[in-house]
Amino acid sequence: MDPQAQLLPGTLDLLILKAVSLGPLHGYGILLRIGQISGQALLIEQGALYPALFRLVRQGLLKAAWGVSENNRRAKFYELTSTGRQRLRQETEGWNRLAAAMASALKAQPEKV
Amino acid sequence: MEPSGGSHGFGAEGAAGEGMKLLDTLRFFAANMLHRARAEGDMEQELRAHIQIRADDLERKGVARREAERQAHIEFGGYQRVKEECREAMGTHLVETIIQDVGFGWRVLRKSPGFTAVAILTLALGIGANTAVFSVVYAALLRPLPYAAPNQLIALSEVRPQLETPTGDEMPYWNASYPDYLDWTRQSKIFRSFAGFSPQQFLLRGAGGAELVQGGQTTTNFFTTLGVKPILGRDLVAGEDVESGPNVAVISYGFWMRQFGGDRQVAGRSIRLGDRSVQVVGVLPRDFEFAPLGRPEIWVPMHISGGLVTRRSLRWMSVVGRLSRGATMVQARAEMKVITAGLGQAYPQANGAIQVVMQPVRDRVLGTVGGLLMILFGAVGFVLLIACANIANLHMVRASGRRREFAIRAALGARRGRLISQLLAESLMLAAAGAALGFLLARWGAAALIGAIPQTLLDTMPFLADARANLPVLGFLCAVTVLAGVAFGLAPAFGASQRDAGVALREESRASASGSRQRLRHALVVAEIAVSLVLLTGAGLMVESLGALLHRNPGFDTRNLVTFAVNLPVTTYPDDPDAIRFDRQFTERVRALPGVAGIVSNSTIPLTGGGSTVRFLIEGRPKPAGHEDEACIRSISNDYFSMMKIPLLSGRFFDDVDDTVKGPPHVIVNQAWVDAYTRGENPLGKRFRFTFSPKEPYREIVGVVANYADAGLDSPEVPALFLPFPQDANSYITYLVRAPASPAEVIDSLRAALRAVDPQLFLAQPATMEQIIDQSPSVFQRRYPSYLIGGFAALAILLAMVGLYGLISYSVSQRGPELGIRIALGAQRGDILRLVVGEGARLAAIGVAAGLAAGLALTQLMRGLLFGVSAADPATFAVVAIGVGLVALAACCIPARRAIRTDPIVALRYE
Repeated sequence: MDPQAQLLPGTLDLLILKAVSLGPLHGYGILLRIGQISGQALLIEQGALYPALFRLVRQGLLKAAWGVSENNRRAKFYELTSTGRQRLRQETEGWNRLAAAMASALKAQPEKV
Repeated sequence: MEPSGGSHGFGAEGAAGEGMKLLDTLRFFAANMLHRARAEGDMEQELRAHIQIRADDLERKGVARREAERQAHIEFGGYQRVKEECREAMGTHLVETIIQDVGFGWRVLRKSPGFTAVAILTLALGIGANTAVFSVVYAALLRPLPYAAPNQLIALSEVRPQLETPTGDEMPYWNASYPDYLDWTRQSKIFRSFAGFSPQQFLLRGAGGAELVQGGQTTTNFFTTLGVKPILGRDLVAGEDVESGPNVAVISYGFWMRQFGGDRQVAGRSIRLGDRSVQVVGVLPRDFEFAPLGRPEIWVPMHISGGLVTRRSLRWMSVVGRLSRGATMVQARAEMKVITAGLGQAYPQANGAIQVVMQPVRDRVLGTVGGLLMILFGAVGFVLLIACANIANLHMVRASGRRREFAIRAALGARRGRLISQLLAESLMLAAAGAALGFLLARWGAAALIGAIPQTLLDTMPFLADARANLPVLGFLCAVTVLAGVAFGLAPAFGASQRDAGVALREESRASASGSRQRLRHALVVAEIAVSLVLLTGAGLMVESLGALLHRNPGFDTRNLVTFAVNLPVTTYPDDPDAIRFDRQFTERVRALPGVAGIVSNSTIPLTGGGSTVRFLIEGRPKPAGHEDEACIRSISNDYFSMMKIPLLSGRFFDDVDDTVKGPPHVIVNQAWVDAYTRGENPLGKRFRFTFSPKEPYREIVGVVANYADAGLDSPEVPALFLPFPQDANSYITYLVRAPASPAEVIDSLRAALRAVDPQLFLAQPATMEQIIDQSPSVFQRRYPSYLIGGFAALAILLAMVGLYGLISYSVSQRGPELGIRIALGAQRGDILRLVVGEGARLAAIGVAAGLAAGLALTQLMRGLLFGVSAADPATFAVVAIGVGLVALAACCIPARRAIRTDPIVALRYE
């Protein structure tokens, strides 16, 4: 089986929020962070990241500021707003409930139904 | 599964978040609007930084810098596409999309100038013509009359059904007698009030000389009945409309401005009307108009006396009634029927055969123009329909041709909504350009429509004075434009985007248009052909009516005739002998003028309409009181028939020996009178007397003349009788002068002659007979729609043929390979020609058949306007149908020639 899981629709935003919640990051840094925290199982297409970032900024979940990257390049850094933090909590709970429900459903055995 | 707290995605948000989101959106939208350039630069920098950082990473792993940058670029994916998505995500999407669509549309339209020009012109003509006609229709039909609750106002008229109406209209006259008016007022409950009015000309004398001013004399409740209040001074008050009433006048706003410079202290000032000094008491509102009297400027209370007040059979006054609140026309008719029956019983001699007809004042004001305008409006609406059908067809054909382009764009990630919005942008740009051009056309067209109405007729339609492109018309224009844009923009947009991009790409240029779309296009062309056939038939019938009318022999020689009127004031010409003396002096002087071949008088100028009628009893043939026969009566000078070249059929003309003031009472009748009343007996020597007075003597018929057109060129030949002027003199005399010189010169010398006889007199309403015919309602009613419907029909057939040509051309280009195979397999030119033309001919045949059927139904609507031709005239229909068929074949032949020249090798290579 492919070691990299397919990204479910809608999960990119949640992953970005999670990645940024661990500390301000620029776009490329977010990609690296998601790879790192998912044990390289979730890889995001580079081009797909930015529309998502702009969307989250527009929704007021992220804020952005220009800064300087570790290798001395001017880059835009993203961090969570308070709304974004709240949203991350909600979405995480929702996701956990869903994941638990799915896991339980998929574990069901014929004789237990 | 039902995950709580929203979905696991970010689609749904709470109400608070919704408000926040809206605010944020707005803020971002504004920020982006203001700093679009900066945002764009920011995004560019950020994305470039990303690639550089990634390249740095790769470089650290040992990749050479150039290779690292290349790889970073590739990993990033479609750079432009990402940017596009980011713009969308940032919220600049809408504005940018519009700007892009417009920019793109502009480039596309510029690349196909032929299509663009045809589309814009088609739209401009359709919209322009519609708006122009709508401006006029609005002014005439939709704009409320400037009276309070105008729908409650009813025109009432007394008619005798025995008398054939000269124009065939439902209500040709608008007259009642004064005693009957008083009885109506007393008896009616349904009507709140009745008011009487009658036209009057005033000779206004001022410092700069004298001029004729139109006006009216009214009962004092006239303005309260209309619901109009003077803006200055007072209304007429009860008691002023009696013989010895005060000389007061209410004046129009225009007259107030012109004569008094808008002086607010005008009430109490005096003007000289004829030989009287009249005090101005009030000024009417600016928007007041009263079309039945043309452009009246001075209103005076009726000062009537004698027979006008007491005689029930003297029906000289027009009456307008106002219904009580909530009362209906039906109730009013029922009530007036009862009142009329009562009056008929009480006064059998005067009212025995009288009926009252009613019409809303609006209909009365519009007269036949209302129907005419509706027909024009319908005709021009058809043109717009054809124009829209054509545009839709053009677009569909083009969209089919552009399927490859759309397929590629879809494959590159353009969403369906984006394609639709782009096609819509193109359509709306076309519509906007068409509307702008159309608006110019409309302004010009509305002016031309009004300008084409003869001045004398325009004076009877003051409501058309402000018929120019106004706000409601502008609104209509915009509505039509947007509808047209959406109508023809959406059809191809759905057609183009409904299929899967892949399918379209695979089918690519083979482009066998889907069946439904092809059927729709065929249906549109068939409808265009049918509609243009209807319009052409209508135009043909109108042109034939006009021709028949103008070629109708009026029965007298209309060449080199100048007409005018002279009104003799009562103070200086109190009795008949005074009028006769004036007539003799004046005519002698005119006959002596160089170049004058003759001068005659008639109480009514032929072809101007109007004139009075009289009831008579033939000797030895009694009739019940009130049911006597009635005929037109004209008072003529003795040499009238000979100068007018009206043939004598039997007997003799009047002469100056027998038919004098003191001579025995004589009368001449026309052939229609003989046909109607003599029952085949010799009319000469028969005697009859008028019944309006028991003192009337028996008059002997001395001659019979041929019929001539009296009321109008289109009027039926009605019984008429003629009295010698010396035996029936009048203080209002209308003259006809035959003189070959230029009319202006003739009129100048006539004016001088009149002044020489009496410097106080005024030469009124000078006109040539050509002008009278030209400006007469009967000619106008045919000429106007002839030109207009003719123009619309030409436009329609042109558009329809462009549509048919486009369809067949497209079909030929799509069937290229097929035709190539046929030719390769040995098909002859004739076969190909038959194949291609056959397709068009089939459509044309269906269109012509549908058009004939629709035409037969629709031309019935214009029956009232036709003259000398039936609404279902087989010749007109046949000629138009054959003509449309031939033109349609011609339109198909051009693409067919191209089809014949198809090179099978070339055609097949593309397959």
